[in-house]
Amino acid sequence: MSQNQGNIIQLEEGWNDVIKKGAIDVLEKTLDDGFDTSFEPKEYIRIYTTCYDMCTQRSPYNWSRDLYTRHGETIETYLRNTVLPALQDKTGQGGTILLNELKHRWSNHQIMNKWLKKFFTYLDRYYVKHHSLPTLEQAGLQHFKTEIYQNSKENSTSAIIALIDEEREGEIIDKTLVKSIVELYESMGMGSLDSYTNDLEQPLLESTRAYYGRKREDWIAKDSTPDYLIKAEKALGEEKTRVVEYLNPATEPKIRKVVEDEILQKVQMNLLEKEGSGCSVLLANDKTEDLQRMFQLFSRLDDGLQPVANIVEKFITAQGTACVDKRQARLDSGEKDKNDDPEFVKSLIDLHEKYLGVIRETFANHHLFGKALKNSFEEIVNSDVGQYSNAELMSTFCDRILKSGGEKLSETEVEQSLDRIVQLFSFLTDKDMFAEIYRNQLAKRLLNQRSASEDAEKAMIGKLKLQCGTQFTSKMEGMLNDLAVGSEQKSEFDQRLAQQGDAKGLSFGVQVLTIGNWPSYKAPEVAIPPQMSKCMDVFKEWHDAKHQKRRLTWVHSLGNATVRATYGKKSYDLQVTTLQAVVLNAFNDGKTYGFTELKEKLNLDDITLKPLMHSLSCGKHKIILKSPASNKIASTDSFSPNAKFTSNMRKLRIPVASVDASHNKNRVEEDRSVAIEAAIVRIMKARKTLGHQQLVAEVLSQLAFFKPQPRVIKKRIEALIDREYLERSSENTQQYNYLA
Amino acid sequence: MAGKKRKADTKMWGSASPSSSSGSRRKPSSSSRRPGSGGGYAASTIDESAAEAMFDALCEEDNPGAANMEGICQLCEQLDLDPLEDVRVLVLLWKLGANKKPAEIQREEWMAGCNKLQLDSIDKFKGLLPGLDTGFMDREEFSDFYKFCFQFNRAGTHKTLEKDLVVALLKMCLAGGRITSHRLETFCGFLETTKDEGYGKITLDQWRSFLDFSYEYPDAKALEAYDEGESAWPVLIDEYVEHMENQGKKGRKK
Repeated sequence: MSQNQGNIIQLEEGWNDVIKKGAIDVLEKTLDDGFDTSFEPKEYIRIYTTCYDMCTQRSPYNWSRDLYTRHGETIETYLRNTVLPALQDKTGQGGTILLNELKHRWSNHQIMNKWLKKFFTYLDRYYVKHHSLPTLEQAGLQHFKTEIYQNSKENSTSAIIALIDEEREGEIIDKTLVKSIVELYESMGMGSLDSYTNDLEQPLLESTRAYYGRKREDWIAKDSTPDYLIKAEKALGEEKTRVVEYLNPATEPKIRKVVEDEILQKVQMNLLEKEGSGCSVLLANDKTEDLQRMFQLFSRLDDGLQPVANIVEKFITAQGTACVDKRQARLDSGEKDKNDDPEFVKSLIDLHEKYLGVIRETFANHHLFGKALKNSFEEIVNSDVGQYSNAELMSTFCDRILKSGGEKLSETEVEQSLDRIVQLFSFLTDKDMFAEIYRNQLAKRLLNQRSASEDAEKAMIGKLKLQCGTQFTSKMEGMLNDLAVGSEQKSEFDQRLAQQGDAKGLSFGVQVLTIGNWPSYKAPEVAIPPQMSKCMDVFKEWHDAKHQKRRLTWVHSLGNATVRATYGKKSYDLQVTTLQAVVLNAFNDGKTYGFTELKEKLNLDDITLKPLMHSLSCGKHKIILKSPASNKIASTDSFSPNAKFTSNMRKLRIPVASVDASHNKNRVEEDRSVAIEAAIVRIMKARKTLGHQQLVAEVLSQLAFFKPQPRVIKKRIEALIDREYLERSSENTQQYNYLA
Repeated sequence: MAGKKRKADTKMWGSASPSSSSGSRRKPSSSSRRPGSGGGYAASTIDESAAEAMFDALCEEDNPGAANMEGICQLCEQLDLDPLEDVRVLVLLWKLGANKKPAEIQREEWMAGCNKLQLDSIDKFKGLLPGLDTGFMDREEFSDFYKFCFQFNRAGTHKTLEKDLVVALLKMCLAGGRITSHRLETFCGFLETTKDEGYGKITLDQWRSFLDFSYEYPDAKALEAYDEGESAWPVLIDEYVEHMENQGKKGRKK
């Protein structure tokens, strides 16, 4: 039927004859029957045109308002009369059935909404806009919400939750169904997620919490920590998948939080401390996988890792303390207390390496665990037992590696060992003490040519420099430098000596040491035989010409010499110290000398001469005869050369007990006093006035290589008050002022 | 100046030994002794020449500009004061302003002091005696006097005092209620019995701090609140407090 110009369509006529009969009834029937809904194009145009006409007719025949209203009513009626009863019928028959029905009805509604919108489209274009009304689609949706959704949402939510719980228990459920219903909830929000959030998500979160609360109680009672964590990991994984499969993504973080809270947060300490399977047990048994899982799970929680790190710290400290206790036990059982305990040092190194690895592999190098390792080693490394500090033991450990004839290690092994000892060193509080001892041992190695490799020495110093800065290693570097300069200039001097000719066939070398770099040595003014002093003069002349501003002091306590001892046809080469050589030279005339006589002749004191005489007359090779013969040197003894001396070997070394200036504790103390005072003055100069507490705190933070007691710092402050660098504030007894 | 009898007082009194040249002192005429000090004060209300004359009698033979302990002792005799026991001697010297060198008073100081205190005769000095009680001083004045006690008793250019002297001095100038007698006794006891060699000599800082400390922590009860970790007091004080704590514990053990 085509539009007849001037033929007005009446409301009821148009509605009943065309729209209702042709569209709505047809629509409802196909929905009920379950067949696909479709309209022939001709039919569709007819209905559409009728609507169009009815909406464009001039007033009072413009039926826009009525059509709009009836559109709504149609839907409303259909929902109320057809859909709702059907749903109510299915309620009580089990969740899945209800849900399926709901899904069906929702699907139908969407179809209906679509077609009605198509037919009444013209309303959307003008009437709706003009009157700021909900669009046809929105209106339809709203009706569904009011009539159907509000009435069934509780039941459908329960149904869904029940299904989810079933799935959690391992049952298979119809995920597609749930997904469709979820989409319904989403749509009911009409632009926002509110309906979904309030009507489905919220109850779901509550039930999830209850569900996992029960599970937790169940598991925690029966399962070991690793087993529990496996279950927890699985549960978290499942929930995440669930959201992806049929829930709205916004739910993911919320549900995750609930589950983490219930199964991890609430029992964290319980799990960590569980007897027989808690964190420390896992550490003790190197259960890497379980610990990794633990780490990953607890890192989800706010501040979840700190408690784990605390346990790790305690555990490592206990392991380290066990090493220290072992050392103590060995000493207690009578082992000699010396400054060398490689077993102990190695045990600490191994411990550190092991847990460095654990932190890397198991705890993903997380900073909290790095800190735990550091804290525990700071405690371990500074626990000294016995007479010798760990600083000294560690330095001697290095000495073993660096001296020739020490540990037999390949180049890479040396590098690795040094690296590791420096790592241990970084935990030492008294680093300056280590430096002092190390320097002394380095000097010994260098001066006695006992250093295995100059490269290794340089490498070690380089590592210390990296740790502590240039100032820390400047003296050590100075020592190496002195030797380098010495060997450079050696050939130049050798030439000069050869030119002199006067040297009576003595080959002679000098090592110049820069005083500040080396430990302090005694320089006895021994009476030097003329042949030797001639060489010394040549050197001094040559040296002074080269360096006018330098003053040389001969340190005869340090040198070495080779003495050719000739007995008739046989002769021997004796490797001795300079002082021993001077003593031997005194016996060249074959005479007998008393101890006191020798003392005077050579200008040496008891402390120096006694060990020398001992080495020559009481040792393995008795070059000199002592009377009376005994193992101790008395000032009443007399000595004569042993004309009957023989030996199988041609080259002999005559060792002498060194009267060591072993590391000078006083020196370190003095340096510390100076460092503390310098820090105080620096700080006060900048701040002008400062309270006591703050001053002490700032001083401590400025001192890198040792940590003084507060009383020690106070004494230094008092000393500075006395020397008028500071004064006490007249207003506040606890405050200091800087005096310019 | 302290009450203990000792063998040679020389270390305390500085250069002069008590037996030297008391009889053979030349007393030249005032005019040649006075290095033009006459016009020091514009409108002087004392008899300056009399004050000068007094000083002439006290000053050193070879140094007319200063009077040392020998001269001071002479003055004390005239005033009937015991320089070894009587704190008023120190108060007098403090009031006169004998600050420049320990164990001495300079002529200028004497003259300025006499002017300030209106003294030009022995009788006037005697009249001053009652006012020399330390009880009259307020806290600030006493602190200044207390510091003077230390400074005046040093030997020559030394900056510290021997422990024994310190104990005697403390007892002399702090008697009279400035601090509790318990505090004074226990502290002196602590000083005397401590084996720490570092406390053989006491510094000015330690001396002054003791007084300030006693003001802030007057009695045993107050000591309970003492916290070494927070204190800026000298280590000597920390150790005293520790000592008192240990005494207390020993007492309880009984």
